[in-house]
Order: sequence, then C-alpha cells, then structure tokens
Amino acid sequence: MAGEVLVVAEQVNSQVANVTLELLGEGKKLARKLGSPLSCFVIGHNMEAAVDAVIRAGAEKVYLADHPELAEYKTLHYRRVILDELSSWATPPHTLLMGSTTTGRDLAPRVAAFFETGLTADTIELDIGPYEHTSGIDQTKIGYFPECLYASRPSFGESLKARILGPWKDPQMATIRPGVFAKPEMLTEKPEGVEIKKVAINFQPSDYRITIKETLRELEGKIDITAADVIVAGGYGLGSADGVNLLKDLAACFENSVVGASRKIVDLGWMTYPYQVGQTGKTVRPKIYIACGISGALQHRVGMQKSELIIAINRDPDAPIFSFADQGIVGDVYHVIPEMIKQLQEKNTSKLAELKVK
Amino acid sequence: MNKDLDIYVLIKQVPDTRSKAGVNPDGTIDRAKAGKMLNPFDAFALQAGLNAKKMGGPNSRLFAVTMGPPPAIDILYQTLEHGADATCILSDRRLAASDTLATAYALCRTLEYLFKKNGRKADLIFCGLQTTDGDTAQVGPEISERLDFTQVTYCEDFSISDNLLHAKKIIEGGTQLVSAELPALVTIANSYTKLKFKSLRGAQFVQDVKRASKEEQAKYVEIIDLDKCEADEMRCGLNGSPTIVSKTWKIGVVGGNCKMHQGKAASELVSEVFKDAVMLKEFVKI
Ligand SMILES: Cc1cc2nc3c(=O)[nH]c(=O)nc-3n(C[C@H](O)[C@H](O)[C@H](O)COP(=O)(O)OP(=O)(O)OC[C@H]3O[C@@H](n4cnc5c(N)ncnc54)[C@H](O)[C@@H]3O)c2cc1C
Ligand SMILES: Nc1ncnc2c1ncn2[C@@H]1O[C@H](COP(=O)(O)O)[C@@H](O)[C@H]1O
Repeated sequence: MAGEVLVVAEQVNSQVANVTLELLGEGKKLARKLGSPLSCFVIGHNMEAAVDAVIRAGAEKVYLADHPELAEYKTLHYRRVILDELSSWATPPHTLLMGSTTTGRDLAPRVAAFFETGLTADTIELDIGPYEHTSGIDQTKIGYFPECLYASRPSFGESLKARILGPWKDPQMATIRPGVFAKPEMLTEKPEGVEIKKVAINFQPSDYRITIKETLRELEGKIDITAADVIVAGGYGLGSADGVNLLKDLAACFENSVVGASRKIVDLGWMTYPYQVGQTGKTVRPKIYIACGISGALQHRVGMQKSELIIAINRDPDAPIFSFADQGIVGDVYHVIPEMIKQLQEKNTSKLAELKVK
Repeated sequence: MNKDLDIYVLIKQVPDTRSKAGVNPDGTIDRAKAGKMLNPFDAFALQAGLNAKKMGGPNSRLFAVTMGPPPAIDILYQTLEHGADATCILSDRRLAASDTLATAYALCRTLEYLFKKNGRKADLIFCGLQTTDGDTAQVGPEISERLDFTQVTYCEDFSISDNLLHAKKIIEGGTQLVSAELPALVTIANSYTKLKFKSLRGAQFVQDVKRASKEEQAKYVEIIDLDKCEADEMRCGLNGSPTIVSKTWKIGVVGGNCKMHQGKAASELVSEVFKDAVMLKEFVKI
C-alpha cells in the first residue's frame, strides 16, 4: 500500500497558517485516490488549538512535536524533528507537501536533500496518476508506476506548463504557494478517534548553531493583498509610476480593496514587491480582479486566474488577458479608469440619496 | 579584526529576458533565440560576497563557481572584473537535464574539489535567492544540507564577527535577526545592495587574463568535468535526478468566454460592464 500523504504544517504564534489548511484540503483528494491516510506534522509550542484546526480541516492522523525550542521556526531544529521522525518509519510517506513560503522554501529542500528525493517548487496543480518509464541509461528506473504524484508548475521553456514527477523514491515532495488551493470546509466538531502521535525530540548540539535574536512582524502595517475582496492591479500599460495613483483611486471605490502589480512594474520600481501578483509574487483569489494594462502573461495569470470575476482593460484586443478574463474592455486605461471612478461615485450618490429617503 | 575568510559565490547563466529577443508574447521563452546573462538574483549574491571579503582578514578570498555549458565562462569573467580572486566552471555533457537535487550534488562535488585545492573548507557560500529559469530557490538549501552548513535564506543584510554571521532575513509577514555559526550558506534576497559597477582595474585585469596563455588563464578560470571533481555520473544529469518532466502543455483557458466590450465611448463601455458584472455592486463603498 502507498504511504501516507503528509502535510507539514506552518504556524505563527501557534496559529496554523492558511496555506496548511489549503494543503490539507487538496491533500485529502490525493489521499483518497491513493487509499492512504491524510496526516499532518505539527511543530511548535502550545499547539492544542493548532492540532484542533488541522483535524477539523481534514487531517486523519497528527504527528505532534511540541517543545519550547520549537515555538518559532528554526531551520535546524525543525529539520531535526522531521528527519528523526520520518527516518524511523518503515514506509516513508508517499507524498510530502509544504507551503512555498519563506519557511517552506527554507525547510523543504533540506528534507529533500537528506532523503535524496525529488522536490517540485511552486506547484500550481497536484494529482495522482500513472507513469511508464521506458528508456534511459539507468535501467533501474524503467518500469510502470501506477501511483505517482503529479506536480505541475509553469515552465520557463517553450511550453506553458510542465508536469513533474518522480515515482522512484518516496516521499515525493512538492511546495505550493498560499492561495493556490481553496481552504476546505472546516468541520465544526472535531471527529473522534484521530490519532495524535507525540514525536520524540532529540536535539543535537549542532542544531543550536543558528539562534534567533529578534523577530519583527509588522502586524498593522503589513501588506497582505491575499486577504482583499477586490484587487485593482496595474501593468506596464499604465505608462508611468504616476499611473499607480489611478489604480489607488479606483480601488478606493470598493470595500476591502487593494492595489496589485505585474512583475514588470515592480521591476521598474513603480510598485513594491509585496504587491506583485504571479508566479514569483503572490497568488490571489479575490472576488474581483481588475487588470489594468496587463498583458496577461502566463506567469501573471497563474497568480490570479482563480479570481471569481476578472475584468480586464487593455487597448490591444488580442492581449492574452482577454483569453481568460470574464469581462474585457478594449480601451485606454486613462480613459476607462476615470470613467469607472466617475460612474461608481455616481452610484454612491444615488445610493446615498436612497438611504436618505429611507 | 576577523579571521581570513574563504568565500564562495554560486552563480548561473540564464536566458536574457530583459530584451524582447526570444521572449514570446505570452511570456514564455525560446531558449535558442534568447541571449544570455548572469542570473539577476546572483548579482546580489556577488555583491554580498564582495562585501563579506572586506569584512574578513586581509587574506580573505572570493571564488565564483558555476555549472553549465562553456559559454557560461562569460559570467565568471564578470565576477573577476568585480573583484573575485579565482573562478571555476563545472561543464560536462553528462550534466544535461539535472534537476535541483542533481545540480546540488554536482555543485557540492565541485565545491569539495575546490576546498581541497584551496587548502580549506569555505567559511561562507553565497547563492542568489532563485534563478529566473529554474526558479525554485532549492539549490542553495540542498547544498547546505549536503555540506552540513548552517543556513540563512532570504538574507537582506549581514555582518560578521568572530565565527558568527549576523543576518537580517525576510520571514512570513516580517523580518528576523539571526546569528549563524560559520560555515554558513546564505541566499541573498533582491532587497540587498545592488551590484556596484565594476572597476576599471578589474576590467583591465580581465583583458589581460583573456590575452594570456591557457595556463595563465586556468589560474583564474578553471574548467573542470565530472571526473576531475570525482562526481559519480549516476548521480548527475538525468540519471541522478529523482524528478523528470513527464509532460508539457499549454494551460487550458480558464474562463474562455470573455465578454468583450469595444468600439464605443469609454462611458458606454464602462456602463455595459457594470451592468454585466452584477457582483461589483456588493463591494462598492457607500
Ligand atoms: C520566471 C519568471 C517569473 C515571472 N513571474 C512573474 C510574476 O510573478 N508576475 C508577473 O506579473 N509577471 C511575471 N513574469 C513576467 C511576465 O512574463 C511578464 O513579462 C509580465 O507579467 C508582463 O507585465 P505587464 O503585463 O505589466 O507588461 P506587458 O507585457 O508589457 O503588457 C502591457 C500591456 O498593457 C497594454 N497597454 C499599453 N498601454 C495601454 C494603455 N494606455 N491602456 C490600456 N492598455 C495598455 C498593452 O497592450 C499590453 O498588453 C515572470 C517571468 C518569468 C520569466
Ligand atoms: N547551475 C548552477 N551553477 C551555479 N549555481 C547555481 C546553479 N543553479 C543554481 N545555482 C545557485 O542556486 C540558486 C538558486 O537556484 P534555483 O534553485 O535554480 O532557483 C541560484 O541563485 C544560484 O546561486
């Protein structure tokens, strides 16, 4: 039987990160296809609520490493508990998933290198399926593999998406960006009988070679474009850094809204990196995404294509963005956006009038 | 005063996406048509290496290392212009189709070969955050795991004292100050100081090296293959890669039926869209 599908949880202040819940939702589908349990590795300190959350998100088995030394993420300490635990298993996990966050990108490659196994970065699709390897110098690799982890990601080459797999060695690993998968429905009641295994903790002196001096999280001023309902994003079509003000004015017409950017204008310094949407920026799935002067290149698209409603403004009717937007306006951003703002404000005054009548 | 440091910078040559050549309208790249350049992220790593060298004792040394086809020698010369002391390229046909694990293995063999040749292990290895073509950010941490180095990823700034690297690094939702014992592997974020201009002296020096004899050149740009660094070919290239690309395709169009509004005055186009996009109303601020 195939091994478990294991999600390594991420936490800040003992609170489970959204990406972990998203991975549990997606991991469940993989586990069902394999007929294997979905398990979750929880690492931190005072993790009762976190354990509760991952179970309500679908984990059927929990590995818990709870220790004061683990309260904050630390490369070598976290690496130690994961490697020790997995090395003691008779059957390794079939699939191992982590968030493609600053933490996951620090930890996942260390785990992969230790087990000498494959790791696909920034995956946008996961599945289980067959693969037949027919040729190669290495004869030991030839064979039919009915249950491989399919991890797909945008590729740099001529084709747009590449399916990457490596069935020769378990765990088959992948990192996935926050926001790529939807959060699962959380159970209101914790199901009975979920096994919680406390893992052994044996730190070595060498694990203490890295120490944290200070952690600064700007909770108020922090820009998190992934939490907005409406994103007004701009691209090179804005023409100059001044165009960003136009985006801000339009965004100001909506509740819970924020501005976003294509990489090109971030590279040009018109906006800063936290606002970047796409493969090397944030993955967002707002209710409404308004793309202003963005061509819709693949690397941008993978970061926003799951938005509920996509409205695109572009003066080129053949721009790739129109192949996947819901509403397309062929026109100049400098004509269309001011008009939008005007009409939205008119709506507001009429709404206000309505309210006053009542 | 700090001790003398041996510093290595890992750099890669990638297709040039700054110009339009070889870049398709949909953002994909035609490798054959595109020019070549130093991975932009690695320019920050090079500057970090140059800065670290100044922090070390007077006999500190900076080495640049790459793995790739022979034209990648170009980027090694660039590092010499900026002040690297010596460079090395691992070039071998058997490395084709290496994934990150196989790349990390081969680079480790190269590093270990150089440690032996240079008489001691690295104190610091700098990597870029990621490459623009592989785009995984995995090669660095996979190397530090193999070499059992400490590791600081997403490093924005650093200093060195005694045997410690003090670094400021990006974490989820903020930054962190950490101290890591040397030897350490550091991946440099692109918020680090930009690569400074090369010096005239550096440019002149490289001109001289390029004109010198093969033996003289090899002192500054050493070309090695798998045999020279005693790498196991079964752990390199396609053989040594635990993953393969099994299929590539164009991503299916998600929406697919975009309602187009065009050929009218902006005011009309906008009111059409607002009529169709009913959902917008829910989010309009009152
Ligand atoms: C490895 C890799 C990773 C990448 N990661 C990302 C990423 O995370 N995010 C990202 O966005 N990109 C990313 N890119 C870059 C991506 O391929 C594109 O180059 C980029 O998205 C293009 O940005 P753009 O649409 O703003 O600019 P352009 O492609 O130049 O498009 C500008 C558009 O504006 C239109 N326009 C011009 N003037 C006007 C006007 N006055 N009114 C209306 N429309 C107008 C034009 O018709 C055009 O369609 C990545 C690339 C690589 C190779
Ligand atoms: N072929 C290579 N030669 C030298 N260094 C490399 C190579 N590939 C990757 N690296 C280093 O590893 C970093 C991360 O690369 P990647 O994992 O491909 O995103 C790069 O910025 C380089 O510092």
